[in-house]
Amino acid sequence: MQRSIVVVGAGPAGLAAATEAATRGAHVTLLDEAARPGGQIYRQAHSALGDSEYAEAGERARKHDILARFQSVASRVDYRPDANVYALFGNGELHVAYGAGSEVLRPDAIVLATGVREMAIPFPGWTTPGVMFAGGAQAVLKSQRVLPGKRAVIAGCGPLPIVVAAQLLRAGGDVAALASLRPLREMLGNPRALWQGRQIVYEGLRYLRTIRRAGVAQLSAHVPIRAIGTERLEAVVLARVDAGGHVVPGAEREIACDLLAVNYGFAANSELAAMAGAELRFDADRGGWLPASDEFGRTSISGLFVAGDVAAVRGALVAEAEGQIVGAAAAVPPKSIGDATMTAALRTALGRRQRHQAFQTAVRTTLRVPRGLWNLTTDDTVVCRCENVKLRDIRSALDAGHSSLNAVKRNVRSGMGWCGGRTCLRAVAALSELHAGIAPPVIMTPRPMVRPITFGAVVAQKKAVDA
Amino acid sequence: MSLPAVDVLIVGAGAYGLSSAWWMAKRQSGARILVVDEGEFASGASGRNGAGFRMQWGLELNIRLCQESLRFFETAVDQLDYPQGLELKQDGYLVLAHSDKAFATLDSVLPTQHRLGVPSELLDADECVRMVPGLGRNRLVGGSFCGKDGSISPFRLLDALLRACRRDPNVEVRYRTRVERLEKSNGSFQVSLTGGPVEAKRVLLCTDWAVPQLLAPLGAEVPVVSLPKEAIVTVPRAQMVKPILVSLEHHISVNQVDRGSIVFVVARPREGTSIESTPDFLAYAAPKITDLLPPMADVPILRTWGGVSSVTPDMQPILGETEVEGLYVAVSSFRGLMTSPAVGRMMADLVIDNDTNDPILAQLGPRRFKTGELIVEPLLNQA
Repeated sequence: MQRSIVVVGAGPAGLAAATEAATRGAHVTLLDEAARPGGQIYRQAHSALGDSEYAEAGERARKHDILARFQSVASRVDYRPDANVYALFGNGELHVAYGAGSEVLRPDAIVLATGVREMAIPFPGWTTPGVMFAGGAQAVLKSQRVLPGKRAVIAGCGPLPIVVAAQLLRAGGDVAALASLRPLREMLGNPRALWQGRQIVYEGLRYLRTIRRAGVAQLSAHVPIRAIGTERLEAVVLARVDAGGHVVPGAEREIACDLLAVNYGFAANSELAAMAGAELRFDADRGGWLPASDEFGRTSISGLFVAGDVAAVRGALVAEAEGQIVGAAAAVPPKSIGDATMTAALRTALGRRQRHQAFQTAVRTTLRVPRGLWNLTTDDTVVCRCENVKLRDIRSALDAGHSSLNAVKRNVRSGMGWCGGRTCLRAVAALSELHAGIAPPVIMTPRPMVRPITFGAVVAQKKAVDA
Repeated sequence: MSLPAVDVLIVGAGAYGLSSAWWMAKRQSGARILVVDEGEFASGASGRNGAGFRMQWGLELNIRLCQESLRFFETAVDQLDYPQGLELKQDGYLVLAHSDKAFATLDSVLPTQHRLGVPSELLDADECVRMVPGLGRNRLVGGSFCGKDGSISPFRLLDALLRACRRDPNVEVRYRTRVERLEKSNGSFQVSLTGGPVEAKRVLLCTDWAVPQLLAPLGAEVPVVSLPKEAIVTVPRAQMVKPILVSLEHHISVNQVDRGSIVFVVARPREGTSIESTPDFLAYAAPKITDLLPPMADVPILRTWGGVSSVTPDMQPILGETEVEGLYVAVSSFRGLMTSPAVGRMMADLVIDNDTNDPILAQLGPRRFKTGELIVEPLLNQA
């Protein structure tokens, strides 16, 4: 009998999983919140705007290839864009809204390929209009082909700030400074890692050349400590930090800009897995709360799989290889997972995942946020934007003995607003650890809805579809 | 070897447990009070309810319980020294009738309410819709309204009580502390707790549906079962529903809080003690909600949650000493938050002062189930 599979997310992991499962003859439904497939990294502009020209040729080729492979099986995949998967229950029911209607799906297997969001470290002024996540600034450029600011300061850790700075320059933008938390040589000092990741390293060097040629000021071991401006961002104050993330006094400089794009790494979009009751583990360097999973993406819940960055942040190349592996695991009968026939057919994907994963492991320290950096959040800094909760409020709750994320939430409402804690939860956890020594942090109870839907859409719900 | 000893052990740090501890400490008898809770702050029924309170009941005892409690809510910021505020809202409470029978019941209890000074009034369907323009006309007959009723933040009230308790050197509140075993010998209780045993002269159980399992090893019984409920909160909206609403037929209460979010608590008959949101809950609740308030169709749902309330055979609280001397219970029967100030005061009377003269307490004791003198609250016994 044909197996029914729902894949959530149409980034590299989800596209690869859907393609593989459809190739193996499964009935595949691919749900994605965007209007076009690609996810964050391979985000496509509105069809009227044509393809992006700012990415490196290697990345453009990967994007083209994965979309083409998906296109080759697209007639056999029920692809649904603009889908809001708002709940997943432990009984295997997936609740999805599409605009004014909604539906309950109950497939044989679910592959969550929901990727990551950017992690915020709140600092004074970070909510000023003009301060964005680096990936958010890149998304504006990719999808709308407009510059998110006239004069930018880019900051943070890992490769994304470098990529975004270069792409903004290529799009005709002005980048006043690129501030990196860590010196680049940390990554370049590991020859084995360089070799394993040569493809990515080569693209990184090309981006760096764009930045150097444009004469952008590059400041290593610097971070933004304050954003200045009321109606709109006017300037950013950068300061030197030591290896522990503590600001070195007396080394501040103010730079005029109308865009500050920051990235301090990522947080896994693991809400659906958590809501379903899947066992979680916490890894601060790999996306925070992650569904515990094995090499074939199996979680603690039968029939629920994870693939790509939601399983542990390791980038697009790992995600694509892993998507194929997990797509195969979801498509075969459960008892055949990992048998000789299956692994033989996946030899290339397994090898590719191992190689790219080794590179990611070698460079993961460049993504690590030192504990001291959380001191950037001052008592007056808003931590939870939805409910306007400042660090002072959170500390007051902690001082009163409210020593868990749930208890802090019930006290000061952090995480109870529109975003359901997606933006602030990691910050509240890290700040609770810094100021009250609460570790390891237990996740706030995950609840429906992952994203809001109307009562009308529920009333218009179709009955559960049993495959 | 002697165990660490307390005068009173209170099990359960919900509204009843914390309120009882605060009122007991206020007596300044010097009694050492330990409150333990298996969960964390506000993780039980008190922290999960719809926040409403009302004096609109049909029985004198329920009206008096809520009148006394409301007087406390009105002065609680000062009494508990809690300048953050308790989000007390008194925009009124509209009890809706969607059948002639329900409307007749509302009419029948009005004289009792008025005799006790509750400023309630009966409204016809037109008047209800004028008060809440979004109300659906479907089957709506009318309602009763009291402008002094309203809501209070459960989180704030619990936090205010907790902080006030913790300021008192004679009170200790411990979360994540479970009662493993409760025994009585030589006139005192030996209690095995997470983290070590204690000895207590008196024990007050405020764990609602979990009371029977604590009593059973001592050979005592109190009839109470769990009553799971689920709730929905919407994204903030401009004012749509000024008073709190409850519909006797829809089994739904509605509370639009100050920040604009609208909270729906929906009672659906089911068993168990799970606080998880159930997969088919929204599909069950949404049509009822849009029938009650049609404009809700366009309002986005932010979140759902579950909670486990309790219910007794006559839907009334059980307050008093059990067959075991020195062992007391305070069981809320799903109105714990709104009655917690009065109940806390009564439990202090009883446990600290041995005062059994309160007429309400006399009616709500556990022995009524043995004698069969059950209490009938007209507004809770709708068909």
